[in-house]
Amino acid sequence: MKIEYEYTFDMPREVVWNVIQDEDALRASLPGCKAFEHGEDDVYHAEMGVSIGPVKGIFTGKVQQINQEEPTYYRLLVRGKGKPGEIDAVADMKLNQAEQGTKLICSADVQVTGVLASVGQRIMNGAAKVVLGQFFKAMDKEMKQRQTQC
Amino acid sequence: MASMIGMRVKRKEDPKLITGNGNFTDDIKLPGMLYAAFLRSTHAHARIKRIDVSQAVELPGVVAVYTGEDLTGKIKSVPTSWYVPGCNLKAKDRSPLAVDKVLYVGEGVAMVVAEDRYTAYDALNAIEVEYEELKAVTGQEAALKDGAPLVHEDVKNNLAFLWKAGDVPDEAFTNAEVVVRERYYEQRVVPNPMETRAAVAQYNSGSGDMTVWCTSQNPHIHRMVYAEVLGIPESKLRIIAPDVGGGFGAKIGVYADEAVVAYAARHLKRPVKWMEDRKEHFMATNHARDEVIEVELAGKRDGTMTALRVRNTANMGAYLSTMGAGVPTICFGLMVTGAYAIPQAAVEVYGVYTNTTPTDAYRGAGKPESAYQIERAVDAFAREIGMDPVEIRRKNFVPKEKFPYDTAMAVTYDSGDYMLTLDKALEIADYEELRREQEALRKQGRYLGIGLSTYVELCGLGPSKVAGAIGLQFGQWENATVRVHPSGKVTVLTGASPHGQGEDTTFAQVVADKFGVPLEDIEVLHGDTQMIPMGWGTYGSRTTPVGGAAVAIAAERVTEKAKKIAAHELEVSTEDLEFSDGIFQVKGVPGHQRTFQEIARSANMAWNLPEGMEPALEAQSFFDPSNFVYPFGAHICVVEVDSNTGQIELKRYIAVDDVGRVINPMIAEGQVHGGLAQGIGQALWEGAVYEENGQLISGTFMDYTMPKADFFPVLETAFTETPSPVNPLGAKGVGETGATASPPAVVNAVLDALRPFGITHLDMPLTPEKVWRAMQKGRKEA
Repeated sequence: MKIEYEYTFDMPREVVWNVIQDEDALRASLPGCKAFEHGEDDVYHAEMGVSIGPVKGIFTGKVQQINQEEPTYYRLLVRGKGKPGEIDAVADMKLNQAEQGTKLICSADVQVTGVLASVGQRIMNGAAKVVLGQFFKAMDKEMKQRQTQC
Repeated sequence: MASMIGMRVKRKEDPKLITGNGNFTDDIKLPGMLYAAFLRSTHAHARIKRIDVSQAVELPGVVAVYTGEDLTGKIKSVPTSWYVPGCNLKAKDRSPLAVDKVLYVGEGVAMVVAEDRYTAYDALNAIEVEYEELKAVTGQEAALKDGAPLVHEDVKNNLAFLWKAGDVPDEAFTNAEVVVRERYYEQRVVPNPMETRAAVAQYNSGSGDMTVWCTSQNPHIHRMVYAEVLGIPESKLRIIAPDVGGGFGAKIGVYADEAVVAYAARHLKRPVKWMEDRKEHFMATNHARDEVIEVELAGKRDGTMTALRVRNTANMGAYLSTMGAGVPTICFGLMVTGAYAIPQAAVEVYGVYTNTTPTDAYRGAGKPESAYQIERAVDAFAREIGMDPVEIRRKNFVPKEKFPYDTAMAVTYDSGDYMLTLDKALEIADYEELRREQEALRKQGRYLGIGLSTYVELCGLGPSKVAGAIGLQFGQWENATVRVHPSGKVTVLTGASPHGQGEDTTFAQVVADKFGVPLEDIEVLHGDTQMIPMGWGTYGSRTTPVGGAAVAIAAERVTEKAKKIAAHELEVSTEDLEFSDGIFQVKGVPGHQRTFQEIARSANMAWNLPEGMEPALEAQSFFDPSNFVYPFGAHICVVEVDSNTGQIELKRYIAVDDVGRVINPMIAEGQVHGGLAQGIGQALWEGAVYEENGQLISGTFMDYTMPKADFFPVLETAFTETPSPVNPLGAKGVGETGATASPPAVVNAVLDALRPFGITHLDMPLTPEKVWRAMQKGRKEA
């Protein structure tokens, strides 16, 4: 399943890049995030509560960022496992300079199993966008807070 | 009293069902009963590296957790029951729970038994399974290719069987004036009866008796197979099908789940219940159809069809289910020529294993697919030579004077008058006027379509010796007992196992008609192997033509005995008696009579019976028909396609069916309505879809469109009656006609509407998106 998402931050690209790579910011912004710990190299161990329509459950998994091209691109690998099924996602994140700041374009290829697949597929696209929307909004807030602190 | 045959009597079984007083498997509650739940594979193809049940077992309330390994050597695998001969069939038995490998999403991996259902489901979440994912294959054509993942390692190219019948020389096509070549995909569907599967098992450790209540269309078949699987003699295994909320073929199947539930009841010495939930049903209960059908139809410019060659590549799923191999071969293959006198025909069927839920019989089982290919190909042929679809059918019908008719596929159609149903349907539809209306609307940019389907199907399974010859591991006769109690009230026992088809009423009508007793005095019982001597169940539209025939014969035997007793008491010979309206009357001597009830009492008291006569008033029949029955009919569908949105409006649906003698027109209409809902459902809305990794992505009613009542216009039904000569009722079976006839009628109608766009083919389901895209393409090309 392909998921496309765009979000425009009212911030310069460097700021967006730094915050979006920041462990604390990620922990605070990931919806339903119950744990987010730095493991070896660029791998994070995450635990997230997900609620997509009838699909509810806690997912544990690994999040890894690779192929970083600061400040324009990185690839995000997510492998998660929970009772509703397994998620295996590859997301390309592009940070483009826009008139008002930075446009972040996320295009992901997501594979799922279990109830997530049989129940969730059709609503997942919509739900994923909701989750991503929440995430980027939270990130946006995080960035603004940091800027006022500076 | 007027004859009860042909009476529109309301169904005896309905009051209890519509007032919530039915007794379904899930209504059964036994003291000390435990609840089972299955953990099912989330992968389509994977090695099971490890199953850790330790956390599940420790949950309070969990009584037991079983894995495939726990059951190895304890109960046997479940086999298919249809070993179609001559096709190099490679059957694979299903182990009760997966061992080492899982082959489709939904395959059972473990079963939890707990004090309550909530705990059982919680425990499923506590089981950890480590899978090593393998490459999956879901499409039958992909699975046949070299290098495709193998579902069963020792089955080359995943080819479960290759069945061939008939032979047509190539010249029949190379020398033909016209040949149309078509390719249809008959999409996969999920039966979805209102009641999902369920089982309650109770074991008596003192006597060794096992009782299993389950959602079965054929309890004696379940008893026969489970006796073997569980190692319990048939004499100690009782299968009861209480009220069953629809089956449509999905409950013919003998699944492993119910056997595992029974095993647990024996192992734990406590009753165990399992109730499948809907999500589970979508992946764990047999699917159906999923066939790629390629047709070559040859003929002359004048419309005469001369030869037919059909290739069916059928997706069997991961295992051959109970009737799996028989559906695309025997049921589909033998019917490919349909209602037409096509002199030469040949069929090839590739049965293919894939990493999907097994496919099996579903309303019509092979016959809807067969009707679909021939009815669409006939339309394509007519289009090719510029002939009206009505005319080409008239030209090629098997004429009524040719019955019984031996087809090119070597089956003998029992009786028929195809022109009769077609004429009646055309008259109801006012076909000429519809064509004029179509023409007028096209000028306004509106697209009306008229589609025909003149089907014939094979029903009333069937002669047992034929069943044996075609590898079906069942008999196909039917049993009936007609028992008259001292009061004259009657109990009828049938080996058929109706579950919504209305035979509680129609069989009572058959008996009431024979005995002249009120319908209320007759009780029809079925579905319990301890009560019914033997029988083969309800499917293949066999219940009335075979089971009903057995009832009629047994009732006739009772009448003969009663007549002898009446003659004895009235001191006349039986020839001097006439029997009508429940009274044995001495001809020409008013007042000299006995009622049926008086004779019932006499027979049961046995105080004064004719010399040598045994007491009681009861008879049995074990009826084995001499042939199948072949219902037929003409359906006309009228649609309008919205050229802006692709939305299809069903404007009219006319079904004229000939199912032989109709016992209860109201029930027959109801059966046609249900069949149409499922057939039209397949044509327009339903479809089970796997993504390439083998995940079923249409696994809920959000993603799988089940037809609802408001999707349909008023269905216009009518019957003609051409009795079958193969059973004493002259009945042919009505349950599958609607599902068989309607998909091609609907698709032909839509294609007829889309003719101005140059569209000649669309695969089902005809979703608005698909239709809209085709119209867009048509507009561009125009």
